Amino acid sequence: MEDISLQSRIDVLTEEQMMIQDSAVAFIAQDEELKKVRENRFTQPGYDAKTWAEMAEAGWLGFLVPEKYDGIGLAFSDLSLVLIQLGKGLVPAPFSATAVLAARTIVKSDNESFKKARLPALIAGEWKPAIAWQETRATLNVKAEKVTCADGKLNGQKLFVPDAGGADAFIVSAATAAGTALYLVEKDASGLSIEYAQRVDGGFYATLTFDNVAVGEEVASAAVAEQALASALDEARVAASAELLGVMTRALEITIDYLTQRVQFDKPIGSFQALQHQSVDLFVLSEISRSVLLQTTALFDSDASDEERAIAASQLKARCGDAALQITKDAIQLHGGIGYTDECNIGLYLKKAMYLSSLWGNSSAHRGRYAELVL
Amino acid sequence: MTDYNAMADDDFRKMLNDWLVENYPNELRFPAKRMHWDQCGDWYMTLANKGWLAPGWPTEHGGMGLDANKLLILMEEFEGYGVGRTPDQGMTMIGPLLIQYGTEEQRKHYLPKILNGENIWCQGYSEPGAGSDLASLRTAAVRDGDDYVVNGHKIWTTLAMDANMIFTLVRTNKEGKKQQGITFLLIPLDTPGITVRGIDNLGMHDEFAEVFFDDVRVPVANIVGKENDGWTIAKALLGHERIFIGSPKMASLAMNRLQALAESADMFGDPLFVERYIALKLDIEDLSAAYLRFVEVLKRGGHIGAEVSMLKIWNTETQQRITDLMLDVAGENCGVSDAIPAGDTAVSAPGEFIDARPTTIYGGSNQIQRNILAKAVLKLPS
Repeated sequence: MEDISLQSRIDVLTEEQMMIQDSAVAFIAQDEELKKVRENRFTQPGYDAKTWAEMAEAGWLGFLVPEKYDGIGLAFSDLSLVLIQLGKGLVPAPFSATAVLAARTIVKSDNESFKKARLPALIAGEWKPAIAWQETRATLNVKAEKVTCADGKLNGQKLFVPDAGGADAFIVSAATAAGTALYLVEKDASGLSIEYAQRVDGGFYATLTFDNVAVGEEVASAAVAEQALASALDEARVAASAELLGVMTRALEITIDYLTQRVQFDKPIGSFQALQHQSVDLFVLSEISRSVLLQTTALFDSDASDEERAIAASQLKARCGDAALQITKDAIQLHGGIGYTDECNIGLYLKKAMYLSSLWGNSSAHRGRYAELVL
Repeated sequence: MTDYNAMADDDFRKMLNDWLVENYPNELRFPAKRMHWDQCGDWYMTLANKGWLAPGWPTEHGGMGLDANKLLILMEEFEGYGVGRTPDQGMTMIGPLLIQYGTEEQRKHYLPKILNGENIWCQGYSEPGAGSDLASLRTAAVRDGDDYVVNGHKIWTTLAMDANMIFTLVRTNKEGKKQQGITFLLIPLDTPGITVRGIDNLGMHDEFAEVFFDDVRVPVANIVGKENDGWTIAKALLGHERIFIGSPKMASLAMNRLQALAESADMFGDPLFVERYIALKLDIEDLSAAYLRFVEVLKRGGHIGAEVSMLKIWNTETQQRITDLMLDVAGENCGVSDAIPAGDTAVSAPGEFIDARPTTIYGGSNQIQRNILAKAVLKLPS
C-alpha cells in the first residue's frame, strides 16, 4: 500500500528514529490482513500473549521509563513512531494503557521501592497493571470522590477500565482523609467484582466494584497522586492520539487504493472530482493532525509545565479524535456498500477510531478543557 | 554591506522591529484594504532607500540576500507590525523571474528601476475566458518586423492603475498543445492602445482592473526566455513564495477582531458561542503547527512541492468561518457598512466577511488546489 503521508516528503527522522519506525512497520506487517486482529475480537483478554511478549522484547514497554528502573528513557517523538504503526495495524494490545498510562503513573509516584520492584517486571512484559481512575462518564477530573479508602478498605465503583481482562492487578485512585491516593489491588482481591462490557472494536471495558476490599501497597501518597495521575493521563492522551493518527492514515491509504481499483462507469471511481475533493479534505485533516502530533511530542520532550502539557494534549486529542472519526466515516462512504460489511477491513478502522477518540476524554471534552485553560 | 544571514535570529528580529517602529507610518498599520500608491508610495521609497525593498533577491542585484529562514522572520515581523503590502509584484514576481530567466541586458535595465521606484509592475495573466484554465488564454501577440502587435483583454490585474509596467502571458501560437503557444512578454503601460479600467470589488474598493490591448506594438526584445516558452517560466516562479499563503497571520488577525467584537457584545458567557470560538481557535493553532512544519523544510534548505496547497485550503477556509461567526455576533450590525466600536478598536464584521470572499478564489481557487493535491500527492487517476 502506498504511503501517501507527507512524512517521507517533508519530515526528517534521525537514524535511530528510522530504525524504530522500521521495526514497528515490520511488526505490524506480520498481520497485514488483520486476521489476528479479527481472531482476538470479542474474546478475553482481547489480545494474545505472544504480541505482548514481542513488544516487551522489542523494548517498547520501557520507552518512557527511566534507565534506573531498567527502562530505555526515550522521547515521545520516538515512541509516537511506534504508536502510529500500532494504530495502522489496529494492534489490540493495551500499549497506551499499560506502557504509557500505568508505567508513567508509577514513575511519577512517590513509592520508590514499589517502582524498583514493579517497573522492571512491567517492562519485561511479566506484570500488567491497569489504572482504575474514572468514576463518571466524560470526565477529565482525576480527583477521587466515589471510591473511598478508610481503615485500609476500599469502597465504591470505577468505570471504563480498558483491557482489564489481561491485567494482573489494578492501581486504584481513592479518596482518603488527606486527598486522592493510589493503591495496588490484586485482581483476585476479596470483595472486588469485575463486570465486563464489550467494546465496538472487540476489546472490553471493565466496571470495578469495591466492597470493603483490603488495599495493597500504597503506590502514590495523597501528596503526589493527583498530579501523577493527571500528568500521566495527558501523556496517555498523546499516545492515544498517535495511535489515532495511525488509524486514520491507514484507513485513508486503504480508501485511496480502493478508489484507484474500483471501476464504475468504465472508469476508476477515483477519477471523479467529487470523490477526489472529498479524499483531499481527508488527507488535509490527517496531515494537520500529524503536524499537531509532531508539535505536541516535541513539547512533551521539552521542560514545558504541566499546564502547557495539558493545553497541548487537549489540542491534540481534540484534533486527532475528530479527524479519525471523520476520515473513517468517510472511508465507509467512499467504499460504498462493501464498506458496511463486517467482512471488509475498513469498518475495523471506524470502530477503533470510535474507541480511541472517546478514550480519556473525547474531542468535546478536550475542547472544553482547552477553553477553560486558555480563555 | 551587512550580512543579515550571519546575524542571530533574535538580533535580526530586533533590528527589523526597531526600524519599523521608527519608520513605518502609524496610520498605515493593519490597513483594512489593499493600499493604492498615493497611500503607500512614500513607504515604498523609504524601504527602497533603506535597501530593504527586495529581501529575497541576491545582494549582487540589490536585494538583501536573505536565506529562507531570515526571509520568514522578516515576513513575520512585517506582518506582526501590521505593515501593509505595497504594489510588490516587481519584487516578488518579475524581479526573481528576470534574475532566473532574463538576459543580462534585461536585468540591467529593469532591476534598478524596480529598486528605485521608477517601475511599478502589475501581473497580466488572467483573462475573462481564462481563469482557472489559464492556459486557454487568447490575448494574441503577432509578429510584425521587430515588434509584436498585441490584441486582447486581461482581467483581475491587481493595482494596474498604480503601475506603469505589466508582465503578461500572451499567445504566440494557436497550433498544438495550448500550454506550448504562450510567451512571456513585458509591456510598458503607457504604450498607445492600452486602456486600464478599475473594477470595484464587493468591498467597494477598486483593487483590481481590466487591461485592454488594442493593436499595441511591443518590441520583440521584451520577451523573457524564448518565444512559446512562457508557460514553463511562469510555472517555475511558484517557488518559496508559496509558503506565505499558508501563514496563519491573516486568520489570527481575523480571530483577534472576532474576539474584540465578542467581548464588546458580552458573548464569552454564552457556551454556544464559546464552543464555536474555541473550535476556530484550534483550527488556527493547528494550522500554525502545520505551517511551522513546512517552514522547517525551508530552513533546512529543502524544497516545498504541491503539498503546500493544503495550507492554502485550510488557512482561507478557516478565515471564512471566522468571518461567518463575526457576522453572527454582529447581529443587525451585519447590515451596517461602517466599522462599529469594539473595545478600544472598531470592527466592521461585514467588511471582514466580504474581504474574506476572494481568499478561496485567488492564487488558484481552492477547488483547483484540491485538484492539484488529488493528482500530485494522492496520485488519484485522471
